[in-house]
Parts: sequence; C-alpha cells; structure tokens
Amino acid sequence: MLGRPALLCALAFVTGALVLFFLGARKQRRDLSEAAARALAVTAAFTSLAVAALVSALFAHDFSLAYVVNYSSRSLAGPYTISALWGGMEGSLLFWTLLLTLFSTIAIRGVGSTRPVVVSWAGCVLAGISFFFLLLLVVPANPFVTMGEIPADGKGLNPLLQSPGMLIHPPLLYTGFVGFSIPFAWAMGALLSGQADSRWFASTRRWTLFAWSALSIGIVLGGAWAYTELGWGGYWAWDPVENASFMPWLTATAYLHSVVIQEKRQMLKVWNVALILATYVLAVFGTFLTRSGILSSIHTFTEGDTGIWFLPFLAAMLLAGLAAIALRLDHLKSDNRLDALVSRESAFLANNVLFVAAAFTVLWGTVYPIVAEVVTGARLSVGPAFFNAVFAPLGLAIVALTGIGPLISWRRMSKGALGRLIRPPIIAGVAVAAGLAVAGVRSVGALLAFGLCAFTAVSIGGEFVRGSRVYRARHRLGWAPALARTVLRNRRRYGGYVVHLGVLLIVIGFAGSAFKVERNAFLKPGEAMSVGAYSLTYEGMSQARTSEKQINEATVIVRRGDSRIGVMHPQSNFHFAQRQPQSEVAIRTTPVEDLYVVVTQFDADGSAAIRSFVNPLTWWIWAGTAVMALGMGVLLSGGRGEVAPAGARSTVRKRVVVAG
Amino acid sequence: MRRKALLVTLTCWALLAVAPATALSAPEDVANDIAGRITSPFCPGVTLHDCPSQAAADLRNRISTWAEAGWGPTRIMARLESEYGPEIGAVPPASGTGLIAWVLPVVVLACGAGIAVVLMRHWSADTRRARAGEGPEPISLSLSPSERRRLDDELAAFKGR
Repeated sequence: MLGRPALLCALAFVTGALVLFFLGARKQRRDLSEAAARALAVTAAFTSLAVAALVSALFAHDFSLAYVVNYSSRSLAGPYTISALWGGMEGSLLFWTLLLTLFSTIAIRGVGSTRPVVVSWAGCVLAGISFFFLLLLVVPANPFVTMGEIPADGKGLNPLLQSPGMLIHPPLLYTGFVGFSIPFAWAMGALLSGQADSRWFASTRRWTLFAWSALSIGIVLGGAWAYTELGWGGYWAWDPVENASFMPWLTATAYLHSVVIQEKRQMLKVWNVALILATYVLAVFGTFLTRSGILSSIHTFTEGDTGIWFLPFLAAMLLAGLAAIALRLDHLKSDNRLDALVSRESAFLANNVLFVAAAFTVLWGTVYPIVAEVVTGARLSVGPAFFNAVFAPLGLAIVALTGIGPLISWRRMSKGALGRLIRPPIIAGVAVAAGLAVAGVRSVGALLAFGLCAFTAVSIGGEFVRGSRVYRARHRLGWAPALARTVLRNRRRYGGYVVHLGVLLIVIGFAGSAFKVERNAFLKPGEAMSVGAYSLTYEGMSQARTSEKQINEATVIVRRGDSRIGVMHPQSNFHFAQRQPQSEVAIRTTPVEDLYVVVTQFDADGSAAIRSFVNPLTWWIWAGTAVMALGMGVLLSGGRGEVAPAGARSTVRKRVVVAG
Repeated sequence: MRRKALLVTLTCWALLAVAPATALSAPEDVANDIAGRITSPFCPGVTLHDCPSQAAADLRNRISTWAEAGWGPTRIMARLESEYGPEIGAVPPASGTGLIAWVLPVVVLACGAGIAVVLMRHWSADTRRARAGEGPEPISLSLSPSERRRLDDELAAFKGR
C-alpha cells in the first residue's frame, strides 16, 4: 500500500519546508526559501498520492483497510464512493490536508516573486499548519489502519450522506476553511517580516474572495442538503456544525468590507489583521467543536479522539497571531483620519461592528451549553429560538446598512445630499411594509425584513441606474450595453452589489419562514388532511427492495381547492448495511411556496404518519444564492490591476490651495 | 435625534425578540412552537421538532393532544419539565445564569458600537482641528505623470489669471 508511506514522506518534506522557510526568512536568503517552496510542492504531491491511494482502495472495495470497511460497501453507488473520502474523520482530514498543501503551493508560486521575506514567513506559517495536519494523519487519524480480519463487505456510508449535495457541500466548505489559511499566512508573514503595509491583502485578495465564495455557497448547499434529507421541514437549525461554518463566514465578511477602508484610506490596519486572524481561528475552532464530540450535532458524522489535538494548535495560532500584532503595532497605525461622521467609512465601521457582534452571538450561543455546564453543572442547550431572537435584529440592521452604504460617499457627505439620495429607497421600503400590513401581514419581523429589502434593493438599483446613465450619455449606448459596461468597467464594485442583491433574495426567503404552516396526521389509505391551502389524500403504500434498502413509498394526491395539482411520493426506507431508517422527502417547489411532505412511519395495516409543511418563499433562498454566485464570478473575474491598493500606487500628497 | 434613533432601534429589537413570527391560534401551531423550543430527549443537541426518531414523534403527538385539550404553553412546558427535568428547555431562561446568555450579546454589541462611535468622533475631531489650524486639509490624489503635469498647468493658468 502506498498511502501510509506517502503520508510519512509528506510529513518529512513538510518538516524540511518548515525549517527552510524559517531559515530563509531569518537569514533573508532567497535560495533557501525557493528550496522550501519546492519541498512544499513535493509535500502536496505526496499528499495527492495518499488521497489517490485511499480513493482507489474505496473503489476497489479493499476491505483490508478499516476506513474502507467503515465508510463504504460493495452496494454503494459509484459517485458516493467519492463522498466516502470525506464521510469519515480520517478521510476528511486527509482531504483537508490535500487542499491545504495544494493551495499553499499555488499561492507561494503565484505571488512568490514579490517581497520574498513576506513570502518566506507566510510559507513558514503554511508549512507549520500543514505539518500539524500531516502529524494528525500520521498519529491519531491514520486513514490507512488495516483490519485484523478482512470482512466480506463494508458497513456502508451513512444514508444521509448518500445525496448529490454531499458530493459538493463538504469540498466547498473545506475549500473555504482552508482557503482562509492563505490570507492568514500572508497577514502573519507581513507582521513577522515588519512589512505590514497594505500589500499583503492585495496579494491575497483573490484567495480571500475565492475562499469566502466557496464557504458561502458551501453553507447554502448544506442548508439545501438539510432541507431535502433531514425531513424536518427546515434548512437551518443553528446546530453547532452549521454555526461552526457560519462564524468564520461572518468575520470573513466583515474583513472583506473593512479591508476596502484600508485600501482606500489606509485605515483600520490592526482591525483587518485581527479579523483575518479571527476568521482562521474560528475555522479551526469549528473543526475542533465538531470533531471533539464536545457538542452534539445532527450533522456530526466524523466525531473522534482527534478533537483534543486541535486545542493546543488553536491556542498556538491565537497566541502567535496576537503576539505578532502586538509586536508590530507601530507599523499598523492609520495613515488617515476620519473626515466626517456621515461618510462611507463610518458605514463600513458600523457594518463591521454588526458582523462581529453577530459572530460573537453565534459563538456565545454555541458554547453557552459548555459554559453553563461548567458553571452550574446543569446540562443545558440553546436552540433556534434563542439564535433567531438575538440574531434577527442584527441581520436586519446589516440589511439596512447594505442599503445605506452605497448612498454615502467616501470621506464626507452633506446631510442634504444624503437626504435627497435616501428618499426614494425609504419611500420604497415604507410602501412595501405598509402595503403588506394592509394586505394582512402581521409578523413584525417579516414586515421589517420585506421593507428593508425593498429599501436596499432600490438603493443598490439606483447605483446601477446612475452608473449606466453616465455611459449612456457619454457613449450614446442603450440601457443594456451601458449596464454591461458599467459592471465590466468596475467589477469589484458592481460584483459586490450583485452579491448584495443575492443576499436580499435570500433574506426574502428567510422572512417567508414567518408564514410557515405545519400539519401532522396519521392517515389510513383514502383519508385526507389539509395543510395551508392544500388537501393531501393518502392513497396507499407500495414497497420495493434493492440490494441497499427496503423502500416504502407513500402515494399522496395533492389538491388545491377542487383541482388536483399533482402526486407526491415521500418514502420511509430502511438501509440494511447501517440498519438505519431514513425518510426521503417529497417537495413540490414554486417561487411562491414549497409543499413539503414526509412520511415518518408506516403501520402494518398500511396507515402512514405524515408530516406536511407549507414553506413560503423558500425558492428565493436558492435563487438568491445563484445571484450571489453570479456576483462572486464578476468579483473574481476582476483584473488584478483593476483597482490597485492605495499603497501600491504612486500617490501624490498635495496641498491644493486656491489662491485668490 | 440620536435618542430617538436609539429608542426606535431598541423598540424594534424588543419587538423582534419578543413577538412570535405569527399569532399561534391553532393547537397544532402551539404544539409545533413548543416542539421547536425544547431539546429532544431522544436526539441530543436537536430540538424535539427536528428529531427524526419515532419516540420524538410520539412525544410530539402527546404535546399536540395536550394543546388540543386546551392546555396553554406554560402548562405544557411545566408538564414536560416535570417529566424530563428543566434541562429539556432549549431556550435559556431570562433569569439567573440563563440571563447572561441573553444579555452578553447585547453588551458586546453596545460596547462595540460605543467604541466605534468614540473612535469616529475622536478621528473626525482630529480632522476638524487639522482643518481649522492648517487651512484646507491635505488631499490624497493618485495621479499619473500626465495628469500631474496637466494639474500643474491648470493651477499655473488659474494663478496667472
């Protein structure tokens, strides 16, 4: 077997890379750093070999390996054999390490020609992180442990993981988590080298956007997976695993906004370094939470003893990061001051306060059960009701700021000018909220959400209109070409606006949950139940058997008023290998509402326990994500030199005095 | 003005935090709401509403029966706590140590906002002082050599007028 030797070789080479990067940085010797970069590339090659060995063992049903026995079986469908790579703890750590070593190699090769000392220190950090993960794979989480007695078949993959979403969701989350190690390493590299100006984040801007985009889409896909697989009618439960991915997303989003202030005004340097440190530490902390078994989660499939190894690593990252910031505090002073309270800088700062408070809220709610148990001895839990109550106001304030930000100019703005620009969005927001209130909507949260979404949409729409108007007037273009030129000429700005529009659609989808209806019934064949405006008639149950599972399928006729609008087939199956029941949800989705039907139990006489939900506006969450992905594409397609950071440009500081 | 804004913000927060999403009129809605506010005794870390086990479905049915019999949320919660202990609640109580869970995020937000406001006032005051003492404030311009030449020419022409 090649897997274990490949991992040992990877560990040896990454150790060499770590030492060489350190010496290269200390002695400022480029030849040592280049040798270290080559050693890191070899590490990535050996890690790839280990992954290839494990994947081929999974496909070959090599049941001499404990991992293959625990997470696959002969009957497992082909595509899900790939999912088995990240279906268990050892495999997921191996996949994580593969991404880490590949990203590190690409990042160092990609931006290695400038500022060699920063790159050497960044390489040192990346090699150190890779060393830790390879050590995990060699000692406590070896994916190549062999069986004493080789079984004829494996235990199979958890049925919940046998879903198309699971082919994409974990790799995207890992890409996001691992991707943040690049800007983190560059920030640390800049601090350790004493070159803590603004170029470190310019070098890694695309990496940050890439990681943030992957994490964003990964989180939504996780929600889509929960919605279609778990059968409780929702997509987000504020579960520790969900929160583990959401916390770094919140701080990364704050960073993506605040770094613009550093780019434009050379301010908030300490804050930006602290945010990227917080983002990376939270990503690792989430991994610790979900792998240590310290918190229970319906999503935890990879619990084990490895979690405890993350604690010292986490402490080292945090302390080293804070020490580096303290060491270089004098390099991180702002070059400029705030000109006025009413300015875009202030809006960005407020945005950051809200995002960080939101991240703290999620962190606090997630760890509160542990804190409470330590303090009081009572085992408590914190559910969605707490998170929704505390998080919703913060989320709505962020939506409001998303609308206010584009209206305010940099440096300063007169209140009169702001008043003129803000009037149309306010009128739109109030009109929408008032219209919905008149139409009978009584949920305060939903009215605020819809009103603020209208406010922000009009504000952002105005930016597109104003930009296009300039091109129309200057080049005599039609609206569509003028709009295209507006977006393509400043992809960062307008790509960001497209992302914001996507977020608004997602918020509309969330607000729809205020009108969710749930009804449960135990029906005999021929009996009906109603949910919302629908009538569901249970016709009966049919059975089928495959090599993997016993399929029990209900036939449910759906009527709306007097008209029959369709037939749904929810299933309650039993998986033989795992001896585990699993519900397959039936969903009829439209932009207005989803009809969501689950059968939780069949009786011997053919009766069925049916849970049914009407989930209004859920479709808009997935549509909003597609719009966000489009905006991310626009953002990432922006050229490197499109908007160079202020520090990298030939800035002329000039006192403009108009003499009389 | 600022006090009004603060008052509106706090009122909105209180309304959002306290008000249920919709009025819970039907007994089934009451039962579903309670199931979302308690931890499942059968699936650790998951609310009763989201727990897929058969035992959880049976308990949900019992809660529905109580709600249909006219029991209010307080009575149902008391019954559940007497059967499964107070740790069944998935919402920290708004008293004792549970109060910290609710208050700390608000304190952090208030501190963050307070620090941001103090910093912004301090920085903008610095700028105002600089502007008052030294005439027009320096402007940072990013100019290409040709733009710089043109600016110099224009200024020279303006002064020569």
